[in-house]
Amino acid sequence: MSQKDRTERLLNLLFALMASSRPVPKHVLKDAIDAYRESPSDEAFERMFERDKDELRSMGVPVETVEGSDGVGGIEGYRVAADDYALPAVDFTADELAVLGLAARVWEQASLGPAAQRAMRKLETLGDGSVVDGPVGIETRIATAEPSFPVLLEALRTRRRVRFDYRKPEDPAPEPREVEPWGVASRRGHWYLIGRDTQRGAMRVFRLSRVVGAASVVGAAGAYDIPPGVDLGGAIASSPAGRVGALTARLRVVVDRGNGLRRRAISVDPAEGGDIVVLTYSDDEALAAEIVGHGAAVTVLEPSSLRDAVVRRLRSAAGLDEVAS
Amino acid sequence: MSAKPPPDTAATRLSRLLALVPWLSAHAGITIDEAAAHFGVSAEQLQADLWLLICTGRPGHMHGDLVDIQFWDDDGRITVIDAQTLDRPLRLSPDEAASLLVALRVLAQVPGPHDRAALAGATTKLEAAAGEALRAADGVTVAVDTTHDPLVTEAVSRGLAEGRRLHLRYVGAVDERTERDVDPMRVLTLDGRAYLEAWCRRAEAVRTFRLDRIEAVEVLDVAAEVPSDAVPVDLGAGALRPDGPPVTLELAPEVSWVAEENPVESVTELPDGRLRVVMPVADERWLVRLLLRMGDAITVLDRPDLVERVRTEARTALAAYDT
Repeated sequence: MSQKDRTERLLNLLFALMASSRPVPKHVLKDAIDAYRESPSDEAFERMFERDKDELRSMGVPVETVEGSDGVGGIEGYRVAADDYALPAVDFTADELAVLGLAARVWEQASLGPAAQRAMRKLETLGDGSVVDGPVGIETRIATAEPSFPVLLEALRTRRRVRFDYRKPEDPAPEPREVEPWGVASRRGHWYLIGRDTQRGAMRVFRLSRVVGAASVVGAAGAYDIPPGVDLGGAIASSPAGRVGALTARLRVVVDRGNGLRRRAISVDPAEGGDIVVLTYSDDEALAAEIVGHGAAVTVLEPSSLRDAVVRRLRSAAGLDEVAS
Repeated sequence: MSAKPPPDTAATRLSRLLALVPWLSAHAGITIDEAAAHFGVSAEQLQADLWLLICTGRPGHMHGDLVDIQFWDDDGRITVIDAQTLDRPLRLSPDEAASLLVALRVLAQVPGPHDRAALAGATTKLEAAAGEALRAADGVTVAVDTTHDPLVTEAVSRGLAEGRRLHLRYVGAVDERTERDVDPMRVLTLDGRAYLEAWCRRAEAVRTFRLDRIEAVEVLDVAAEVPSDAVPVDLGAGALRPDGPPVTLELAPEVSWVAEENPVESVTELPDGRLRVVMPVADERWLVRLLLRMGDAITVLDRPDLVERVRTEARTALAAYDT
């Protein structure tokens, strides 16, 4: 079956379903559409018809299945109501269409890019026909090369579970996981899935780049509810170093250096050999790593826990530990 | 649009056909070439689409049941005579609605001179039109860094909107403070991080500045003059990729994030679990800082001079402590 023949068959099916306000029985569809009528067997026709119906639905065509009124649960037929088919007559202004064009470009070269372009082509028919260019002076891009992304969107919409192989950096091999997705979120250029891990019975955060292969949806639709008020960004950010500013450090910083530290300082006072910079922080090791990056330009005065962490790191970077051992 | 067109599956093509008919109806007398350009296909493909359309219609395929489009006149113009039931576009599919809604919500968070009222209006109307597709969009969050100073973003947006030169006090990736005049071009937000793209009058070149590293900005009473041959940053794959000679490093497992957070040319996993990466380095001072921070978790394989620089710097720093 060529792509042209299949396109033509789908289009003819759509016309047939929209031709009447009454549901169209399956046998009528079979007679009306050449490709169905000429199918080698009833089974082949059934398979073809089911596939086509799913294809139309996945494109957003509201194919309605109408149950028979005879009370025995049979299917009377199928239809597409014209009002459900069409995009509501939304009246976008030219400025709004321009902003939508800018939005569509956000996903350029990302897995949602083709969907955004299709959406724009539909919305543009609602405008006055003028060519729509996005506003100048701003561009936003989000990468979603993750092959699982469209699968997760579908799972979120239908509330179905997903299954995938996941490999943590410290693990030698990937492990199968099953998750009820609560949301996907992007932070600092990485995409994460947040959801309930069904084996562990608790919320987990997964980095999509560590999913091996692609995720697949499993089980029935409506399999779970998303707890109200889930904070997706917060779930990712709540790392062990979540507490902010419980400790205070006093540093000596050479003039004009350590600018990132100075920006966060409570106070900066000139002194001999450099400015005295005071700032609050939450984790000795994290701040020590930052301070060591400045080399001799920053010296820790207190607390001693931070000072020890910095000295240990400097000894390692200086190669002194190897000599001593 | 530089994105390569997706393969033309039956669904892709049908989706185009369904959008084509109402669009052509709304643009009576448009040429085949113009329509092909709008839909991102060749003129031959567009004609093939039109031929396919006029062969379809309501069952029976009698005169009056078929789509009727005239497009064979010498002037190459297209006229829709009978669109059948396809005169309105198909409503948005869930992924189509979600793609635009999530992007609009991101645009509401990012700094820039864009029209906030139009953004709010478009979002409200699209949400109304999206229906059930909202459920997928609501599950997607894009966190945009908000560590930049609102005074800085306001001044940058104003400079762009009014076309004026900016004076920046900027601290680069290697902790170096500079002052310079720039002519703003765009605010770029790439994967959640915001940059000012501008013609730098000091470097006489296009430069990008991270907004969270701009310490102060002044909108000057001078019109911005971006040279007509200034080449904006290509936002294709690998935007803002550092340009510099490659350095080969070995990373212990606990610092494998270095290979995830930075553009690398290659990554090889070694039998002991360490990673060997080849990484372009634009400014060696940046790498020296990384090596100081990570100590012996990172080994430099091909640059003994850098190893020596790091050791010397660390020993000088240690001298300040009585160890």
